[in-house]
Amino acid sequence: MTDPLLSVRDLAVEVSTRRGPARVVDGVSFHIGRGEALGVVGESGCGKSITTLALLGLLPPGARVAGGSARMEGKDLLTLSRRALREVRGGRIGMIFQDPMTSFNPVLKIGDQLIEPLIYHRGMLRREAWARAGELLRLVGIPGGASRLDNYPHELSGGMRQRVMIAMGLACEPPLLIADEPTTALDVTIQAQIVDLVKDLRARLGMSIIWITHDLALVSGLVDRVIVLYAGKIVEEAPVDDLYARPTHPYTQGLLASLPTLEGEETRRLPAIGGTPPDPGRRPAGCPFAPRCPLRVARCESEMPPLVAVAGGPHRAACWVNAKPQELAA
Amino acid sequence: MTMPVTLSAAVEPDEQVSLWRDAWHRLRANRLAVFGLCIVVILVFVAVAGPWISPYDFLSQDLEATNQGPSMAHWFGTDDLGRDVLSRVIYGARTALLVAVVVTGIALAIGVTLGAIAGYVGGRVDAVIMWVTDMVMSVPSLLLVVVINTSLKPPLSAFMDARYLATHNPIWRQTIWIDFVLVFGSMALILWPPYARLVRAQVLSIRNRNYVTAARALGLTPGLILRRYVVPNALGPVIVAVSAGLGTAMVLESAFSFLGVGVRPPTPSWGNMISDGLRVWRTYPHLLAAPAAVLGLATVAFSFLGDGLNDALNPRQWRK
Ligand SMILES: Nc1ncnc2c1ncn2[C@@H]1O[C@H](COP(=O)(O)OP(=O)(O)O)[C@@H](O)[C@H]1O
Ligand SMILES: [Mg+2]
Repeated sequence: MTDPLLSVRDLAVEVSTRRGPARVVDGVSFHIGRGEALGVVGESGCGKSITTLALLGLLPPGARVAGGSARMEGKDLLTLSRRALREVRGGRIGMIFQDPMTSFNPVLKIGDQLIEPLIYHRGMLRREAWARAGELLRLVGIPGGASRLDNYPHELSGGMRQRVMIAMGLACEPPLLIADEPTTALDVTIQAQIVDLVKDLRARLGMSIIWITHDLALVSGLVDRVIVLYAGKIVEEAPVDDLYARPTHPYTQGLLASLPTLEGEETRRLPAIGGTPPDPGRRPAGCPFAPRCPLRVARCESEMPPLVAVAGGPHRAACWVNAKPQELAA
Repeated sequence: MTMPVTLSAAVEPDEQVSLWRDAWHRLRANRLAVFGLCIVVILVFVAVAGPWISPYDFLSQDLEATNQGPSMAHWFGTDDLGRDVLSRVIYGARTALLVAVVVTGIALAIGVTLGAIAGYVGGRVDAVIMWVTDMVMSVPSLLLVVVINTSLKPPLSAFMDARYLATHNPIWRQTIWIDFVLVFGSMALILWPPYARLVRAQVLSIRNRNYVTAARALGLTPGLILRRYVVPNALGPVIVAVSAGLGTAMVLESAFSFLGVGVRPPTPSWGNMISDGLRVWRTYPHLLAAPAAVLGLATVAFSFLGDGLNDALNPRQWRK
């Protein structure tokens, strides 16, 4: 593979808890190629948001990067100065957040919010930026386009606001767009529209995408590759078709099994995985999934399995039972 | 990577119809707020223009015409020394407004500073500041003011007398300032805690709002975020509190004057007039009614204006 756009190595993030520091992201490594779309999947609390916030230096108070590197365009994002980081934010990496209701400044018109990155990163004049913002609204398919610049956020529906947020994230044409569960807060029909929009924008603009979700089905047509996070660790990584065809980690199998399947009229949820992810402060010594795992063996509880290639392909998984590292090594 | 430019007609930036202009439209649509605003404007005008519009000198006595009821010559009647009540009410407005503005200003400055530090720095600093705030709030305010005034006024007066005897500099004879400094100071001392709490809560909640994170994710500078994202969103409640606080300060000043720890006669104060009027209200009700009605009106006006501002400055409540 040619030089990836972003290459994250051994990223670790700690948050302080009452019982001391807890690693909520633990040795996460992944890369993303130019124009590639990567899905990041996992239950809520698995560290998906924290991983991406760490890349942009936007960790919440109490959380800090405890190790690793994130190289992008010749720089390590984790060691950039505040000033250099501000250039990356919005300029090289666009970010779309989960909740379109609360991610807008309620007292600024959307036009005024949309032009800020253009003025700041592109040095545009207000007038120029305003015109550009109008184009952007058209680009993300907002009916009325530029006439909506004068609206306040509360005057738009959730789906429309999410479109505006996408426009904001793409305003400076960053080579990488990170979308953190951008459809979770929306109606099902609107969700599909947003996914289609991003698919379309990707085809036209060619940016790379990191799409965080807990709903694998929603993005199966959008992303090329998927990493599955569990309790701050990558447990499986595979091209999206491979992942569907041969889910290897029991957690991934559980996730796929809990997706709704269409059987005639009836939409039915197969039994999901029982239990919940462990608290960040109380993760077991071995595989964090072991307590919930139907295939658990003794070794799982004492030793974390390494992420190894499955069937020789780009498909990798971390499981003593299903990935059988010792056999594959041979 | 290029974006398709499909622009047909240039989009005119609407001349910056600001939040404030929109808020003003909303305020004007609210009848109670407009009423409050009018009264406040009249009050300010009367206070500023007092010397030119008051029909009489507030001190000039006419012992031939004491305790008269309202008449063409004296709209609000005269008091026990034959002084024109309207003129005294007008000068009382000066006192009330001066006290309200200065006291609220000092209280706001203390409250905003301490509240912002507490909210921003957090941790132990926050704990200490909030502890002090709670302590001040838990002391009965009138008691605090009475204690401050009675314990500080005599030694301060004595000190100034001594300085005068030593230097013969007339500055030290200006004891009326002691009144003002002590009244202002002690009132500000009891009025700042609510501002501190309010600002702290505002900073705490806005600092971690999603839209602040979103603005940071766009690479905006902290100064810009503070100016455009944090401050405007923190301001609404503070402006509302200030508007209501001005009314509170006026009532408080009257209460202190009423209790004899406020500004001293002969400086006209509504509180003093109410206190005097109360003694004779059965025979000369106008002496009580005039200052009491004006004080009530002013308080209500500030409160209506505060509520109106709250609605006008909060776009989430706007209805199209
Ligand atoms: N501000 C915070 N302080 C402490 N812990 C946090 C904070 N934010 C998130 N966490 C913890 O970090 C873990 C990962 O959170 P997050 O990345 O938000 O999960 P996800 O996005 O996958 O749902 C969670 O276990 C959560 O409890
Ligand atoms: Mg999340």
